[in-house]
Amino acid sequence: MRGISILDGKYAVSMDMYPLQDKKFNKIYKFYDHLKAGRFTTTQCKDCGLRSFPPRVICPECLSDNLEWVDLPTEGTIIVFSEELLGVPLGFDPPLIHAFIDLGGEMVFLSRMVNCQAGDLKKGDKVKISVFPIESVFADGRRGEVLEQERVFFGFEKVK
Amino acid sequence: MSRNVCIIGGGMTVWGAALEASARDMYQEAGKACFEDIPGLSNKDVDGLIVASSFTERISFQTHLAPVVAEYLGIKPKNICARVELLCASGSSAIIMAYGLVKSGIADVIMVVGGEKLYTPQRWEVFYSELGTGDHDWDCVHGLGLPPPLFSMVSQLHMQRYGTTEEQLAMVSVKSRRNAANNPKAQVQKAITLEEALGSPVVAAPLKLSDCCPVTDGAAATIIACEEKARYLTDKPLVYIRGTGQATVNNMSANMPNTTTWEALKIASNQAYNKAGIKPSDIDVAQTHDCFTISEIIEYEDLGFCEKGEGGLFVQEGRSDFGGDVPVNTDGGLLSCGHPFGGTGIRQGIEIMRQLRGDATRQVEGASTGLTHNLSGLISVHTILIYGRDI
Repeated sequence: MRGISILDGKYAVSMDMYPLQDKKFNKIYKFYDHLKAGRFTTTQCKDCGLRSFPPRVICPECLSDNLEWVDLPTEGTIIVFSEELLGVPLGFDPPLIHAFIDLGGEMVFLSRMVNCQAGDLKKGDKVKISVFPIESVFADGRRGEVLEQERVFFGFEKVK
Repeated sequence: MSRNVCIIGGGMTVWGAALEASARDMYQEAGKACFEDIPGLSNKDVDGLIVASSFTERISFQTHLAPVVAEYLGIKPKNICARVELLCASGSSAIIMAYGLVKSGIADVIMVVGGEKLYTPQRWEVFYSELGTGDHDWDCVHGLGLPPPLFSMVSQLHMQRYGTTEEQLAMVSVKSRRNAANNPKAQVQKAITLEEALGSPVVAAPLKLSDCCPVTDGAAATIIACEEKARYLTDKPLVYIRGTGQATVNNMSANMPNTTTWEALKIASNQAYNKAGIKPSDIDVAQTHDCFTISEIIEYEDLGFCEKGEGGLFVQEGRSDFGGDVPVNTDGGLLSCGHPFGGTGIRQGIEIMRQLRGDATRQVEGASTGLTHNLSGLISVHTILIYGRDI
């Protein structure tokens, strides 16, 4: 047989590539709730005003926990991009394309580019966020039931 | 109590791809090689052990690693027995911690041993596990594990801003391979021509295979001791740790202040230069973190070996080669020795120690002050040590 017999088809969360997104496992789950609605968001401090990324529970400037969710731009322009041909990790196909994206001067974001082929992109191209479903996590419930937690993730794609 | 601290010996396993050895095999071999380099020292004399390794839980299913290594090497530490993890800079971080413990009098003779077992029988695993190295939830989840995509873009931006060329990148690789050609421990020991480097398979343009350090199994070990013990333990010239720095200003890529000027490297190196009371031009030999050829070029600049933007010219004019301003990566660096994360900073420290003792394989004549530099994560942390024949 192939596989690890004692795991007997069990789901090994420690081998999962994507973050746990459910409220049961983190305090920034609203990022993923917003993402499901097509919004790209982060947290901003209501005391000192600092907007930080990634979203978090404590302001890294003044340590306040008085934070609110704010929207980030969902469109930007390509500063520079990379097409990786060799050494692409499991779960991705070559060419694996990444870009530094200028999100309207708000921040520079390094993202995977989706729905595009090698040679499709050039510097200055307009891009927008693309949200897609990923595999669910299966969690053990308290009474032995199996809870399916649906998940999404995102990349950016060229504006056609 | 504040004492002078020395690096008094070192040894390593052969470094290579998919070595026929487990992690614990390699720690034993590196430790033995280190003890053999210091005939006056036995495993019974070591009062502290720091193990540097990054992927031990992931690849070897082993946490609480330091006592495992202590038991295998017959070391019974009394003052420290712990592991340090800072990915590519685990080894140099461990040396800094050993230095602090010895300098303050908490320990007298510490073995720092580090390495990495990265290859499993399944080739996909190491590439997949690399997705834990940057900010997993926010950067790596985009498929950013092994870092060629990031360094490809850093290369392109450096070329746009400063006119750096693919030929200049390739020259770093040619120098590295030449320096490693007679290093029996290096993963790649074959010299290459500029044409061969430029014709190497593309990984992520403009980076080719010869612009990227390989994935490596291997281990290295060294001894950090107070000067008083060092004088007793070895007859070789003493090499002192003179200054250190370790800095970070961002972890996630979105918070990187500048992709082609590494602010944290400037901060860390200035800390180390100031502590040592020297300036960049005082460095006679350096081992820098050439994970990619572009890295070495930016490091010349941000370490202060040349002006900003002139790193490409620096290698082209031979100023980082033997006979130049400051020979860099004299044993072949990461590009040719390979890069088992926990081992690299220790390998660099050993090479600088040998250069300053005057017994390196490829010797920089009269070198008295040396520097090591590690970059770790997605250009997140920079770690510097300065070593000298004088304190």
